[in-house]
Amino acid sequence: MDMHPRALEQSNSQFGGPIPNESELTAGVRIEPGKSYGFFTDTTLCIGCKACEVACKEWNNLPADNLGLTGQSYDNTGALSANTWRHVNFIEKAGVRENDLAPFQSGWLMMSDVCKHCHNAPCLEACPTGALFKTEFDTVVVQQDICNGCGYCVPACPFGVVDLSDLDGKAHKCTLCYDRLKGGLEPACAKSCPTDSIQFGEIGELQQRARERVGELHRLGAEEAYLYGTPGAPGATGDLGHLNAFFLLTDRPETYNLPAAPTRASNRVVPSLFSGLAAVAGLALAAAAMFARR
Amino acid sequence: MRSMEGIVTIVQEGRFQLTDDVGVSHLCILDRNAAAEPGQLAPLQRRQARVRVRYTRPRNLIGFLIHSVALAG
Repeated sequence: MDMHPRALEQSNSQFGGPIPNESELTAGVRIEPGKSYGFFTDTTLCIGCKACEVACKEWNNLPADNLGLTGQSYDNTGALSANTWRHVNFIEKAGVRENDLAPFQSGWLMMSDVCKHCHNAPCLEACPTGALFKTEFDTVVVQQDICNGCGYCVPACPFGVVDLSDLDGKAHKCTLCYDRLKGGLEPACAKSCPTDSIQFGEIGELQQRARERVGELHRLGAEEAYLYGTPGAPGATGDLGHLNAFFLLTDRPETYNLPAAPTRASNRVVPSLFSGLAAVAGLALAAAAMFARR
Repeated sequence: MRSMEGIVTIVQEGRFQLTDDVGVSHLCILDRNAAAEPGQLAPLQRRQARVRVRYTRPRNLIGFLIHSVALAG
């Protein structure tokens, strides 16, 4: 078979296959089943280049969507969706320039948002088919061959991450590059991040690194810096435990479109059940009282 | 409905890349009612099988919505 001219443009790799445990070279961590892995996203380092969005779409073969201008600054993808598993938020703070910063500085906040891979994942609890599961790397993944598209996971997610695709009718979200982790590779978004705003690693080590970074920022005068999603911090509320993808923020969570106090949907089942039963009992008593008068 | 022939070169869940005869790769997504299952795509990719797909263009998205996949002679 003749080779197409375009195929000749590609040079052969000097490696025979993937480099074993490549993540040790790129992220300084060996990926082993049974340990917890995640992302630490330092928003103070994000420059909004969207390399993470592109790398995610390239690796996961996800289509570009929301064509055209959103009218929302440099944001073209708009939000996390079934086709966009990484989304860079562009937030311009009004009034910052004239108040606090030198004229040449901007008031832009940028944050690469992603599935939080919650320790106690509400989407996983809501899934009736078991399509959502915890992997050996402590991440949360949707098995596409089992998902029946019921959509229960969509409202269960307190962060609005999981989405049903209009095309195939199934739930989609970030897999934390499950296939790459199994091959010893760092997730595509973290590997592509030019400023190391997205850092991949073992959760305990990442949390320690994040605490040190907050201390460093405080010493430099950025006293508003704090962590979102580490144990005991905002974001890790409502029995979620902690978030395997956590963030360093410099403004209120709502500014970044994150909930200040997310909760598990299952926490509301018992109160909802009893309030429903109480309402039925109250109506029955009222009806009985009315009939008794007659 | 339009159709196209090519080789399945990359498979991710129900999405795959179809490389046509002039070397252009197209991103394809299996429709919810497609006459094929995501599980059938990986063997096609391993065999580098030549397939014929019937597709439509979804609105506001760069890719093809695949309604059927069949082995091409």
